[in-house]
Amino acid sequence: MSKRKMFLRMITASLLRRRSRMLIALLSIAIGATILSGLVTIYYDVPRQMGAQFRSYGANMILVAKEGESLTTDTLQDALGAIPEDQLVGATPYRYVRLDMTSRQQSFTTAGTDFTEVQKTSPYFSVEGEYPQAENEILLGKEIADTIGAKVGSYVQLTWRPVVTAHENASDDWVPNARLSGSAEGFNAGIVVVEATLDEEGKIATLDIDASSQTPEIGGLVETDRNFISRFIGQTLPVSLGEDVDAVSGATISSQAVVDALNNARSTEKGSAAAERSGYFNVTGILVTGGEEESYIYMNLEDLEGLTNDKLLDVAELSVSANAEQLEEYAKAIDGSDAGITARLVKRVTRSETAVLGKLQALVFLVTVVVLLLTMICVSTTMMAVVSERRREIGLRKALGAPDNSIRAEFLGEGMFLGGLGGLLGGLLGFVFAQVVSVNVFGSSITFQPLLLPITLLVSMLIAALSCLLPIKRAVAIDPALVLKGE
Amino acid sequence: MSLLELKGVSKIYGELKALDNVNIHVDKGEWVAIMGPSGSGKSTMMNIIGCMDKPSSGEVLLDGVDISKESSKALTDIRRDKIGLVFQQFHMVNYLTAVENVMVSQYYHSMPDEEEALEALGRVGLRERAKHLPSQLSGGEQQRVCVARALINHPELILADEPTGNLDEANENIVLDLFRQLHDEGTTLIVVTHDPEVAEAAQRTIVLEHGRVAREVINENFGK
Repeated sequence: MSKRKMFLRMITASLLRRRSRMLIALLSIAIGATILSGLVTIYYDVPRQMGAQFRSYGANMILVAKEGESLTTDTLQDALGAIPEDQLVGATPYRYVRLDMTSRQQSFTTAGTDFTEVQKTSPYFSVEGEYPQAENEILLGKEIADTIGAKVGSYVQLTWRPVVTAHENASDDWVPNARLSGSAEGFNAGIVVVEATLDEEGKIATLDIDASSQTPEIGGLVETDRNFISRFIGQTLPVSLGEDVDAVSGATISSQAVVDALNNARSTEKGSAAAERSGYFNVTGILVTGGEEESYIYMNLEDLEGLTNDKLLDVAELSVSANAEQLEEYAKAIDGSDAGITARLVKRVTRSETAVLGKLQALVFLVTVVVLLLTMICVSTTMMAVVSERRREIGLRKALGAPDNSIRAEFLGEGMFLGGLGGLLGGLLGFVFAQVVSVNVFGSSITFQPLLLPITLLVSMLIAALSCLLPIKRAVAIDPALVLKGE
Repeated sequence: MSLLELKGVSKIYGELKALDNVNIHVDKGEWVAIMGPSGSGKSTMMNIIGCMDKPSSGEVLLDGVDISKESSKALTDIRRDKIGLVFQQFHMVNYLTAVENVMVSQYYHSMPDEEEALEALGRVGLRERAKHLPSQLSGGEQQRVCVARALINHPELILADEPTGNLDEANENIVLDLFRQLHDEGTTLIVVTHDPEVAEAAQRTIVLEHGRVAREVINENFGK
């Protein structure tokens, strides 16, 4: 039999045949190792766990178009490529426009969006009723619903009119299908007013003249002279008297006023009638957030695009499960890409996340260290008791010729064997512990980290070995002569 | 030829002279008993001969080496290599079996050899009790295991401290018979005792009183 085999035989016999004492040491190591591996698991899982929790406070990254660029569904997809799929909780596109509610003669800000993503990036949205699922379904902010007296199931007609800014030149208003109105000074400082509509080609389709300020039997004839009026139809603005139309005889000044009024004519409305689009929408839910969202109407992006006839987006809200540094990194990557999009972080959210995580991790770390210290004290105390219990045996071994190193090796061996066994036990129990904590505290399960088992094993053995140092010192100091004294 | 020689050995604990200028010698193969009342210095002498203590003055020659000047580490080596110990309280490792207890001695000396250990147990008539724990053995049996353990490494000297002190007469005789066998094989035996019967089994008895050798008695009946 080799010396090593005998060594192992002695150690195992000592542990197995002197169970009760060793069980206490084993138990304390196992508990220590359980807490160690459990807390380390949680320590590394907390960011993921809490990240998911934090994501319920909403988006932490905002994407908008760069100056001179535009944000569309396609460029958004390009930008999202910079964020790993498993960290992207949700990405919600938003397009904001003003829509007129026909029945109320009021307009409301309407957001076109993707309701599946909304539920991911704004999980705090509370909907009475349901999120829209089919076409032509909308969500009404509570404030709007209260204002117009709408309920779930109501129908509203919404109309989109393109926003037309005032043009510098009247000629910019002369677009196809435009309704125009203009005025000019006629005879004796009287004002002549014209109203005209243009056809699809931008030519004058109808013309209505108000010349009541002119001398009735002379200038007033421009109102009624069919010959005069019909000459305007089909003309393109601007018109000139003498070339495109001839003046009513004897009323040259009034005729000139009609031409001038037409050449001054501006659009009478913001949008042309033909550019308006409207639809009936079914209210499937009332949105209650307690915030400004309550004054918006929400509809599917596709429905809104059907009204506006374009594919533009104003902003995209992203919820990314990542720490502050990673977020910065992703934002940089998006800014650097050629998607024409710039990313902004919602600092309020990311900062508080980082701070809370840091504190939690520090707490877990502290608890782990304290538990390991307690384990060391417990194991050390037990081993100390073991040494005094085995004084006589140690004396005997020394009397039989055991060198000090041999005594050290035997106790260290026993300690590390216990440490290993306790570590193995604790490593496995630790996973169960972490799982229970995770499920109860965070409401989600964790993944087993196989690397943690050997680490727990090594740490437990190290802790056990350290705990044995003082007891071993005492064991070595025992005088072999005590076995002779017939005590 | 002397195996052990004490020359002017004294051991002083503060005011107390446990040993006072002791001179003895023990020849190779000799069987010597050391007697004396409590406090006569038996234990101190035993510790010094057993390489577990050093004299305050004087020389202790074991197999020609002066062990009184050696370091405690060297003393451990000498004890392991040359001396087999038998104690009054038996002293076994209580979680190891009889044969394992014998093997512990081999383990520290050289190489554990279970076969050899079993043979040694056979010599003391306990081969069939080899797998028993000390708690399952009687006092006599335990002491016989200790004798087997003491002789397993073929020591030059077997040092026995009251080996029969805790034994009944039947077991005392068994142990003494074992000593006789060892003596016949040429092993040197030093037995500390206050039992005259045990002392009479030896060739020579050294009587200690107040830390000094009071007298030496040659046992004329030895071997008869």
